[in-house]
Amino acid sequence: MTSSLRTFVACALGLSSVTAAAFAQRKDLAARHKQPTAQQVTFNRDIAPIVFHYCAPCHRPGEAGPFPLLTYSEAKAHARQIAAVTATRFMPPWLPEPQPAKFADELRLSDEQIALFQRWVEQSAVEGAPSDLPPAPRFISGWQLGQPDKVIEAEKPYTLPATGSDMYWNFIFRASVDRTRWLKAIEIRPGDKRVVHHANILVDRGQSARHQESEPGAGFAGMELKIESENFDPDSHFFFWKPGTVLKPEPEGMALRLDKDTDLVLNIHLQPSGKPETIQPSLGLYFTDKHATLFPVLLQLENDRQLDIPPGQKHFVVTDKFTLPVDVDLLAIYPHAHYLGKDLQALATLPDGSVKALIHIPQWNLNWQAVYRYANPVPLPKGTAISMRYVYDNSSDNVANPNDPPRRVVAGNRSSDEMAHLWLQVLPHTSPDMAFDPRMLLQEAMARHNVEKNPADFEAHYNLAAMLMARGEQAEAIKQFEQAVQLRPQDATANNALGASLLAAGRVDEAISYLSAALKVQPDNFDAQYNLANALVSQEKFAEAIEHYRAAVRLRPGDANAEANLGGALAETGNLAEAKVHFQRALQIDPHHKLARENLEQISGDLNHPQP
Amino acid sequence: MGAKGPGTLMQLSRFIPRRLYVSFSLLTAGVVLLAFPFARAAQKTALHADGTPADPFQEAAGKPAVFVFVRTDCPISNRYAPLIQRISARYRGKAGFWLVYLGKWASRERIRQHESEYGYKLPAMRDPQHALVARAQVQVTPEAAVFDAHQRLIYHGRIDNWYEDLGHSRPAATTHELDDAIQAALTGKAPPPSAPGVGCYIADAQ
Repeated sequence: MTSSLRTFVACALGLSSVTAAAFAQRKDLAARHKQPTAQQVTFNRDIAPIVFHYCAPCHRPGEAGPFPLLTYSEAKAHARQIAAVTATRFMPPWLPEPQPAKFADELRLSDEQIALFQRWVEQSAVEGAPSDLPPAPRFISGWQLGQPDKVIEAEKPYTLPATGSDMYWNFIFRASVDRTRWLKAIEIRPGDKRVVHHANILVDRGQSARHQESEPGAGFAGMELKIESENFDPDSHFFFWKPGTVLKPEPEGMALRLDKDTDLVLNIHLQPSGKPETIQPSLGLYFTDKHATLFPVLLQLENDRQLDIPPGQKHFVVTDKFTLPVDVDLLAIYPHAHYLGKDLQALATLPDGSVKALIHIPQWNLNWQAVYRYANPVPLPKGTAISMRYVYDNSSDNVANPNDPPRRVVAGNRSSDEMAHLWLQVLPHTSPDMAFDPRMLLQEAMARHNVEKNPADFEAHYNLAAMLMARGEQAEAIKQFEQAVQLRPQDATANNALGASLLAAGRVDEAISYLSAALKVQPDNFDAQYNLANALVSQEKFAEAIEHYRAAVRLRPGDANAEANLGGALAETGNLAEAKVHFQRALQIDPHHKLARENLEQISGDLNHPQP
Repeated sequence: MGAKGPGTLMQLSRFIPRRLYVSFSLLTAGVVLLAFPFARAAQKTALHADGTPADPFQEAAGKPAVFVFVRTDCPISNRYAPLIQRISARYRGKAGFWLVYLGKWASRERIRQHESEYGYKLPAMRDPQHALVARAQVQVTPEAAVFDAHQRLIYHGRIDNWYEDLGHSRPAATTHELDDAIQAALTGKAPPPSAPGVGCYIADAQ
């Protein structure tokens, strides 16, 4: 009695057409009155546990699923659909094949579970005994980890047109924290979940993405984006959202540093829904007092250079292989290709010759791309070769092919181009007797691997040089920076880096030439202004140096070194009064700035006792 | 009768006594019910969005009649909304064109809200008893049916081949069955072969 009363109420509330209500109720009653047999599959006993666990996280109000699946009547209203989409494994969306290295939160149905759905529908989708129904799933409403410590909303919304191809939009969130904070979690609220396929946060410490915005806060289109990092500070965290994501804090000790000027760039994949949709995502930031003690690294295998797929080619293979220079634990994996990707696979061959499957996606579907975290870290010792093998289908048999008729496709950032990327989040093992941070060895090995793979890879030369500089291998670093500049003579960052490393090596004339070249391309490059000023000071060209320091200070008013050095150069030209102002500013910014304090004391004496 | 006839007849005879259906559409409902009170249970009819009985064939007034079957909660039929609207506007005045809402939740208010959200300007019907579904022989939303000026079903199935399967869509359709079928109904040329649509099962909406 209780059950039928409850169902009746649900029907009456959900329906406003009397005809339809009567009709539906009659059908429901008919289904319920069938006596379940031992062989009979019922919703309450067999189907509800599966639906509650695998479907309801997305199929509930406010989530990505187009309709809720929380009750018998809701499931029955889609029963044939459910049977069909589970039979083809379209739903629940889970791309990887089963393997010994299990993933966390796997959403893969067993063959037995799929068969249950089929039998349930064949047997008229009956409800079954009320006592068999498990408790309804409980979901946290609102922010998943409680009220965040800080919520930031995208400055301007983006309106997705009703129709057209998929859109990839980037929102830049100015983190605007008062001081350096440590993040234990970021909850991504992507906006209307029914149109957002996935969202990914990139940490932009140098605010390098901002120049792509037409105006501050406007955001910008683009499927792939490149974040430049000035310092050795590899972004080491995946912050990924897909429908049904259950937010989990970063593991203990793995908080992410968030500086005052850090930007978080949210890259969102949107699919037009048939009506215009306005998207204004927000991020919930959860802080912790516990600084990071463990520093994972993101390794990227790729071979975009191999990507040159002739039209009609059904089976085009791209591979890459990287050998680990240190012991690591593999925490998560993120395979990435565009619409021609078909079969994506990654393996680890251990030094003892044994092979571990890291991931295998036999039917790649860009719409369901995801970061996959391992249920338990996968230990990979030094000397392990990680290999990727991606197969692409550029024929017209591939319905997702963006080109009709197929045309030659090479690597690129547009969705009609291709990519062959595999990201791995690894945690290097550390020990006190290590001469260098294992992250640096990983980055250096990665860059060296990329230089070998592609001698024309500008970034690989640049990154290798940066790692070599950090390790004090100045001569080799300069050679690598030179190659980077040869590859991109108009790149301000590379010219500045080469200039800076030459300056550090005492090759001042050459340094000035490259730093000037950097400024010719990009006059608002703070680093080049500052470095050129330093170079000019070392040649005692103080007047020229002062102009460049002034430019640097204008570009970055909060930089204590630039203020202190400007003061120093002014003092050298005898302008002690203005020098004092800049030493004081340097000390306001950084009260512990030794040079500024010493110089200020020095000139204060001079000011009080002017030289004749 | 052409080769298309038997299929339509068979479908009608399975669900609706053809003679009854025709007489119902020609006479007023009241008269039919009085004359054949026993037929009420067997008689199925589509409704206007406001719930009044609808006879789209009569409303088409000798022109071809086009139906596109949708569900408010079917994401694929929703994604087709701009195209459905464009095609219906293209044939305004040349053919009767209706959106047919299915599903228990297709109330008058819900339909009105859905039409406004998705920019639909063509008239909408409801088909709670699946009278039109049966006559049009459609299986999923969004499928379309095109009847010629003689009320013969000349095409039923997908709008185009945008979707190959659930989760597998082309960047753009390369065939345009609905448009071709309406052209065929207007010109008397051969309609495209019926091809099944991809979307949400209509039988679930019953």
